[in-house]
Amino acid sequence: MQTSLINKIVVYAVIITGALLFVFPFIYMILTTFFQGTNTLPKPEQVFSVKVNFANYITVWNKNNFVNYFMNSVIVTSVAMVGSLFLGALTAYGFARFTFPGKELVFRIFLLTMFIPGVINIIPQFVIIKDMGLVNTYSGLWLVYIAGGVIGNVFFLRGFFESIPKELEESVLIDGGGNWRIFWNIYLPQSLPALGTLAIFIFQGTWEEYFLALTLIKSEAMRTLPIAILMFNDKYSTNYGQVFAASMIALLPVILLYITFQKKFVQSGYNEGGVKG
Amino acid sequence: MPDSALTPDTKQPPLMRKSKFKLGLKQWLTVLPFVAIGFIGIAVFVIYPMIRNIMISFQDYSIMPNAANPWVGFDNYTKVFQDPNDRFLIALRNTFLNVAATVPVNWFLAVFFAVLINARFVKFKIAFRTIYYLPIVTSWIIIALLFKYLFADGDGGFINFILHKQLGIIGEPISWRNNYWSAMIMIWLFHIWKTVGWGVVIYLAALQGIPKDLYEAADIDGANAGQKFWKITIPLLKPITLFIVINLINGAFGFFPQVYFITQGGPMNQTHVIPSLIYIEAFQNLKFGPASAMGVMMGVLVFILTYTQMKKIGRQRMF
Amino acid sequence: MKKTRKAAIALMALVLVLVMAACSGGNGGNNGSSGNGGSGTDGGTDKPAGKKVTIEYWHTYSDAEEMVLTDKIKPAFEEAYPNIELKLTRMPYEGLKQQVIAGVAGDAAPDLMRMDIVWVPEFAAQNALMEVSKLDGFEELKGRVFEAPMATNYFNSGYYGVPVNTNTKVAIYNKATLAEAGLTEAPKTMDELVAAAETLKAKGKYGMGVSGIHAWGLAPWFWSLGGSITNDDYTKADGYLNSEASVKALQTIMDWNSKGLVLPVMLGGEPGTWDGIISGEYLMSDDGPWFYSTKIAEKEATGFDPLEETVRALMPAGDGGSRSVIGGENLVMFANSKHPEEAWTFAKWMLTEEPQKIMAETGLIPSNKAAADAMKSMDIPFVDTYVEQLETALPRTPIPQWGEVEAIFNLAFEKAIRGESEPKAALDEAVKQIEAILK
Repeated sequence: MQTSLINKIVVYAVIITGALLFVFPFIYMILTTFFQGTNTLPKPEQVFSVKVNFANYITVWNKNNFVNYFMNSVIVTSVAMVGSLFLGALTAYGFARFTFPGKELVFRIFLLTMFIPGVINIIPQFVIIKDMGLVNTYSGLWLVYIAGGVIGNVFFLRGFFESIPKELEESVLIDGGGNWRIFWNIYLPQSLPALGTLAIFIFQGTWEEYFLALTLIKSEAMRTLPIAILMFNDKYSTNYGQVFAASMIALLPVILLYITFQKKFVQSGYNEGGVKG
Repeated sequence: MPDSALTPDTKQPPLMRKSKFKLGLKQWLTVLPFVAIGFIGIAVFVIYPMIRNIMISFQDYSIMPNAANPWVGFDNYTKVFQDPNDRFLIALRNTFLNVAATVPVNWFLAVFFAVLINARFVKFKIAFRTIYYLPIVTSWIIIALLFKYLFADGDGGFINFILHKQLGIIGEPISWRNNYWSAMIMIWLFHIWKTVGWGVVIYLAALQGIPKDLYEAADIDGANAGQKFWKITIPLLKPITLFIVINLINGAFGFFPQVYFITQGGPMNQTHVIPSLIYIEAFQNLKFGPASAMGVMMGVLVFILTYTQMKKIGRQRMF
Repeated sequence: MKKTRKAAIALMALVLVLVMAACSGGNGGNNGSSGNGGSGTDGGTDKPAGKKVTIEYWHTYSDAEEMVLTDKIKPAFEEAYPNIELKLTRMPYEGLKQQVIAGVAGDAAPDLMRMDIVWVPEFAAQNALMEVSKLDGFEELKGRVFEAPMATNYFNSGYYGVPVNTNTKVAIYNKATLAEAGLTEAPKTMDELVAAAETLKAKGKYGMGVSGIHAWGLAPWFWSLGGSITNDDYTKADGYLNSEASVKALQTIMDWNSKGLVLPVMLGGEPGTWDGIISGEYLMSDDGPWFYSTKIAEKEATGFDPLEETVRALMPAGDGGSRSVIGGENLVMFANSKHPEEAWTFAKWMLTEEPQKIMAETGLIPSNKAAADAMKSMDIPFVDTYVEQLETALPRTPIPQWGEVEAIFNLAFEKAIRGESEPKAALDEAVKQIEAILK
């Protein structure tokens, strides 16, 4: 079955237009990073005739311990990501593979919490972390990130886990393995695409988190990247060239991670059984 | 515990008439090692703050650590409705408008782009997927700054520059953030642009699972592309659609950066949504009582609205 | 099966490597940063010798100001008081108030903070701040600083902070546009300015520089036109905000707006005030000394020399005289400070002449009278007009409820100016709401 040439052109035209719409603001942003002294914004005519230079990138990289903040973010985000994935998978496994009284009720209560605006939860969370003596430590930050994300992650993973065929467990059972072995040897490897997808969601969410990190981390040397970026946005004015340059630097690791993980990104193979039903 | 591993989900009739309680206890003991840490974390960092939240909504709350915080009954709730500018009701209206305006568009664009990219002859699928996903991985605050810049007033803003100066579609530059509807449209565009990629990626994954033979059969029957889309693709994607739509609704209910970083609720408090209003009341006006009351009311409302659907949501499966 | 297990192991290994690389990298970054141009932000990590006390100081100084703070103020203070270490923490402006609230609520606030003057009564009302007027040496300190900035710390018959620097806004004109309006010097009265704005209107330029619909943007104009917000004790808005003079002042601003004389930026339009003044599209606006300090610092990159291309003047006088609004920051001590004595020692020292003169180098106007006097003879080109304007500048109502009052004030003005409400009705409604809050 051949698709006609006209159809092909139309389809390509539509998806390329879509791609342009998504990528264009970034191009505009990158062009803006080539301006210095941008407390005032360049006009569109100027934007398209700017000379490429990296002065803002160099300034940003060398300023306010930016490199330091960057590495802090890498530490905070990677541990939070691994922890969230593990705890989310473990809890989802509990929900997916076992029956216990009140399971659906508990799950529904969890889901409900996702709908209630949690903007002011930050104060009680901070007080708890303080009572645990974990203010100004990454452990405190990890606790809130990991525990705060469990529900969403379980919601995401439970469906995957439940579609894993029971027959796969038999090999483990024959070997005399128990529930842990099944989790470790069957469920985790079988749901790698889902875990990979989730990893990227978690990484990106933690990587850009601002308010909680700023509240819990009091020492400047331990701050994370989003805080460093907003330091270029001061009381009197925003230096857009620098803010955007800093943002581009911050964006790179996420894109790299995405490209690395995307082969594993929710892909075919797993869902073939499920979709039919 | 090899035997419990054998029979976690299978419904064997109990050999003896074990009491229901004992069985339940045993089931809990089996599952507890896996869920205990998660449950404790949720209880401490999600449920407890939420209970505090509910308590504060009945208190005259002071930020000082050892303050008395006297109980005031429903005072904070009445205060919310005594607001002469009706900010809560406006925010509530906007919340529903946001859902109505963004969820269908977001859903349609996601499935539309995913189906096109998934077309057999399209090359560079991964490149397209990456580009569509770019906005998702960028920080809200930065994208908000960027959008304010693109939608700047006068011909200095790129959008006005294109629409007015280059294309002449509009008679004069729009002051986007200055009027209620244009500000709302800007907020919606911001939200859709930022989140469509998520739906595209999930749908792309799901589409790869649709058996090709169904389409081949449809081709033999002489179905056109539209028919195949509505008759095969959409019905087969139903479970995934449910997951996506729930998440889109949840996202649209939870607008915060979209409003807080773009309009701060302006002009004249007209574009507020509940979360942004709560943030402003609590952290700018130090009115924690009324702020919590708003949160609780929104929670109750969502609970009522979704209660009947909960069973479905709870049982829905992604794949 | 094997394949997936391998993949799982690979994933775990990758993550592990990432974490480990991150940790070692993080340490490297820490060590490396000390050699980094003396930004000094992690200066507080040195182990104190003996009974050294560390006090933490939150601030939001800009880049240029922070440099002076870490390179000059900190060493000078620690030399004078060797047993106290000053730990400086620069806070971002976004979400700052939330940080203060969380700090207070979690009993983890710093010892000291440089806080916007309008926040002080608000936090004092929450009992979050220490009453400094009870402390040793307060009266003596009070005698050395200007009265108006000091008054912004007053709450409930006590003072809850000391003014660390003050500022105000003056009229800043684009020189070329001024000439285009047919003037050789800045207008002295509102009438002259209106005439100039009308001339410029024909050329597509704007003259009346109201920069936004909020107290900070409106107040200089509203007051200069004869309007008022409350009585002198800040206890009553009825008969002031809705007085005939206030309605007339609002009506005047509305008339300018409907004639197209006001900067589009007032209603959130573009270009921004700085853009407009620099390009000459705007004749003038009122702004603080940071316009000059920022733009002088960027002179190389932008090619715009603010001292050459703009003219500074007092706010043009109307029925209320030439009025501007007082801004600035106060130094406050938190009630749960662990080292109140040392913190107070720093606050007192910071308000003496020498440190005040050092900070004045950046264009921050000292609140210490002697330092402000000395500043006139220092070679800071733009500061004279600001010091002069301060003599007639007024503070925004220094009461704990100001945040709410301002929201009402802003809304009333916005409604009237956008034509959604009559000026008298809008102000009456605002008064009704404000009176309810003041009680």
